[in-house]
Amino acid sequence: MKENKIENEEKIIRQMMQSEMKKAPENLKFRIMHQIETRKALTPQKRKPKKESGTLLKEMGAIFGTMYAVMAAMVIGGYLLQGKDFLLTPQFIGPVVLVAAVFSLFWLMTRLEAVLKARKK
Amino acid sequence: MNENQRVQQVLSGNTSAFAYFVETYQDMAITIAHRICGNMQDAEDVVQESYVKAYRNLHTFRSESKFSTWLYRIVYNTAITQTKTRMWMGMQETGIEDAYDRGENTLEINLEEMDRREVVSEVLQRMPKGDALLLTLYYMEDNPVKEIAKITGLNEPNVKVKLFRARKMFKELLAECYSVEDVGFS
Repeated sequence: MKENKIENEEKIIRQMMQSEMKKAPENLKFRIMHQIETRKALTPQKRKPKKESGTLLKEMGAIFGTMYAVMAAMVIGGYLLQGKDFLLTPQFIGPVVLVAAVFSLFWLMTRLEAVLKARKK
Repeated sequence: MNENQRVQQVLSGNTSAFAYFVETYQDMAITIAHRICGNMQDAEDVVQESYVKAYRNLHTFRSESKFSTWLYRIVYNTAITQTKTRMWMGMQETGIEDAYDRGENTLEINLEEMDRREVVSEVLQRMPKGDALLLTLYYMEDNPVKEIAKITGLNEPNVKVKLFRARKMFKELLAECYSVEDVGFS
C-alpha cells in the first residue's frame, strides 16, 4: 500500500518535472554551429616542420659542391698552363687552401644563421 | 551510428557531425543552465559557451561515461562560473526556510486556474537552486544518482540525501500553495 503510494507520487513528480523541460530557441543550434565553424576556420592549420637534416645536406652539397668545382677548375688550369710539378708547389697549394677556407667559413656562417633563426622561433 | 563514432567523426575534422550533439542535448542543457542562471538569456549564452568548450575539448572525452553526462557537467560548471552561484554551501537549512517564508507571503492559487507547467515552474523557483537542479536531473532525464554525482561533483550518498530533501520540499511547497488532492498526493 505504502509502496504504491510512493510509486504514484514518483510518477506524478516525474510527469510534472518533464512538463517543465525548457525548449531551446530555434536559432541556438545555428549560433553554436556558426561559432564552432568560425573558430575552426580561424585556427591556423599545423604545418609540418621542415626536416632539418634535409636542409643541412642540401646546404652542404651546394656550398662544398661549388668549392670542389672551383678547386677542380684550378687544378685543371694549373696542370694545363704550368705542368704537373706546379700542382705541388706552395704557389698553387696556398690559393687552394684559401678557397677551401673561404667556402668553409661561408658554410659556418650559414649554419650559425640557421641556428639563430631556430632559436628565435 | 553510436555516439562514440560521431565523436570520432568530429575529431577527424567533420565539424558538421557535432550538430547531432547540439540537437540532441540542447533542450536539457538549457534547462540545467536556466535552473542555475534564472533567466533564458543567460542560459542561452551559457549553453552556447558550453558547446564551444565541449567541441574544443572533445579530445579529452573518455567514452567510459555518457556524452550527455560529460556535456551537462560542462554546462553546470560554466553556469556556476558565469553566475558565481554557490550551489550547495549553506543552502540546506537557509534555503528551505527562505522558501517557506516566501511561500507564506504568496497568495493561494488554485491549481485548476493555472497550467501545470506554470505551477511546477513556480515551485521550482521557490526552491534553492541546487535542490531544483537535482530534481531536474533526476526526473527529467531519468539520470541515475551516479550520473548526477558526476555532473554536480557531489558524492553519491550526498546526492541521495539532497534528493530526498529536495523531493520532500517540492511536495511540501506544492501542498502549501495548492491543495494536496489537486496534485494527486493523497
